[in-house]
Amino acid sequence: MADPIVVGITVLYFLAIIAIGWYSRARMKSATDYYVAGRQIGSVVNGLALESTYLSPASMLGLPAYIFILGYPFWWAMSAIIAGMPVATLLTAAAMRKYGPTSFADYYADRYNDQNLRWLVGVIVIFGAILYITLSIVGMGIFLLAILRFPYLYGVILGAIIVMLYVVFGGMIATSWNAAFQAVLMTIAAVIAAIGMINYFGGLGEFHAAVLANNPKFFNTPADPEPNHILAGTWLGVVGWYFTWHYGFATMPYTVVRFFTVMDMKTARRSIFWCTLFAGFFYLGLEIIGAGAKVMIEKAHPLVVSGAVKANALAVLKYYATNFGVGTPLDYSMVAAVEALQNPWILGILAAGGLAIAMSTAAGWVMVVNVIVTRDWADMMLRSKFAKENPVLMARIISVIFLAIGMVIAINPPGLVLDLSGWAFVVIIAAIGPSLVLGLWWKGATRTATWITAIIMFVLHLYAWLYAKLTLGHHSFFFLGPALGLPKTAIITPHQVWAIPVGFLLFIVISLLTKKPDPEVVEKYCVQLTEKV
Amino acid sequence: MPWPPKIFWVGLILYYGYTVVCWLGEATAGWNHIPLAVEVYAALLGTWIVPLILSVIYFYFPEKAEAEG
Repeated sequence: MADPIVVGITVLYFLAIIAIGWYSRARMKSATDYYVAGRQIGSVVNGLALESTYLSPASMLGLPAYIFILGYPFWWAMSAIIAGMPVATLLTAAAMRKYGPTSFADYYADRYNDQNLRWLVGVIVIFGAILYITLSIVGMGIFLLAILRFPYLYGVILGAIIVMLYVVFGGMIATSWNAAFQAVLMTIAAVIAAIGMINYFGGLGEFHAAVLANNPKFFNTPADPEPNHILAGTWLGVVGWYFTWHYGFATMPYTVVRFFTVMDMKTARRSIFWCTLFAGFFYLGLEIIGAGAKVMIEKAHPLVVSGAVKANALAVLKYYATNFGVGTPLDYSMVAAVEALQNPWILGILAAGGLAIAMSTAAGWVMVVNVIVTRDWADMMLRSKFAKENPVLMARIISVIFLAIGMVIAINPPGLVLDLSGWAFVVIIAAIGPSLVLGLWWKGATRTATWITAIIMFVLHLYAWLYAKLTLGHHSFFFLGPALGLPKTAIITPHQVWAIPVGFLLFIVISLLTKKPDPEVVEKYCVQLTEKV
Repeated sequence: MPWPPKIFWVGLILYYGYTVVCWLGEATAGWNHIPLAVEVYAALLGTWIVPLILSVIYFYFPEKAEAEG
């Protein structure tokens, strides 16, 4: 049965975002306001919005779930995600703000002097967007289950409707200001839950000892005789996890577009400081929660204490799959750990923070898709009169369509939320990351290389990931392992992360072999953009 | 040829260097088995403070260069 305190905190959260959305909607006067917030967002708000947009339910639910599975070595993947934020400052953020486009695809079309790239980049981005919108709605379903104690399916449907209303009536101004509020909320939620967990055991030293006593292999690395899990059992695997998301902040469209919304380049750089400050603090909380989840659930979860389920974390999570229809029960481990604290205030703040992170991520990705479909495709490529005259209306229709697609997939998702995130990251970084990063920093980057790299890496990575997942049993097993005569577990490459260096190498080789770009275009979109970043 | 500013490479060396040192410490001296060590070097420093230092130098030095013309 739903706890009134948990429900009350959630209601307060919704009242707050409705108020912020209403206020910001009154300020929205043009399509530019809708797409890029009139380029008026300051560094603190943009930094916080970056945090809540970039860090999705894949962070809040998925990272603790993967710590639960892999153990301590996965903390380094989280370290690399946070460090990827400042790396983006000078790699892409400052240059992209200096450029100041409206759409993610603008840069590709301008730098490589080919408007048709809007189609190619759009298709790849939309693939990632569908995965991200799906995982956001999975997150909504899980947090609504924690709040209202009703079946996961209802949560997915209600969650999708809430996000539709949120995006349709706001645009980027609503998502920027609300996302900033949501960033503060989710950071506070994770830190409070982590402190609650440490307090439960009587201090950080006692917490560490309890985790170790519950799972003696938890802190093991590949250097130890028995690693905690096969996927973190080799240094190759640990390094692979480390790099899976590391360069995402610099290249993923939903963060890159946020650099377009700030006032100037200085603000773009400073916003990343605020993002790193809050996100790092948020991740500290998640690392503690992930480490303590198993022992917490097995010692104090209400289902264990009442004797309804034996003291086994997997059995508790299975209970949620069986009784509430959660498609990927490991994603519930973080919430179950906080439920074990048996403190409705902490659970209420966590659930509101969880809804916040899910809503802001879905909204951020829907905005990216909106701009690509409405502006790039319908207006600029197809010359649609309807899109030109009704950009906001069309963007709203597109939002509803993609949220509906995400909702359907979220009912029975193809993987854990972090699996969907990693898949989207590697495919996008490998396919269109080289042409973004090298397009800025290398005069020799060519249009042909952009087309060939994007098509080959998109198709190859899709095949490799799906083959590894469906035939070998996990996306982390190198898809060519058996063909090379190796056991499938011999080479661990999370999300086929090899695709990223291969994509960059392929891009460089093809660029060297193909016709050099127009010097004037290179001067404008490569040399001038990267001066004094 | 455009090239990221020197401070970009300094930041990368700082962060990747820090990570490699920690992994070497784990592989050779078992740092990960010292009670509360991972909470300090991997969580507090590795996940928060070191990336935060990067984010500061990445806006401070470019702004300083701009101010100096």
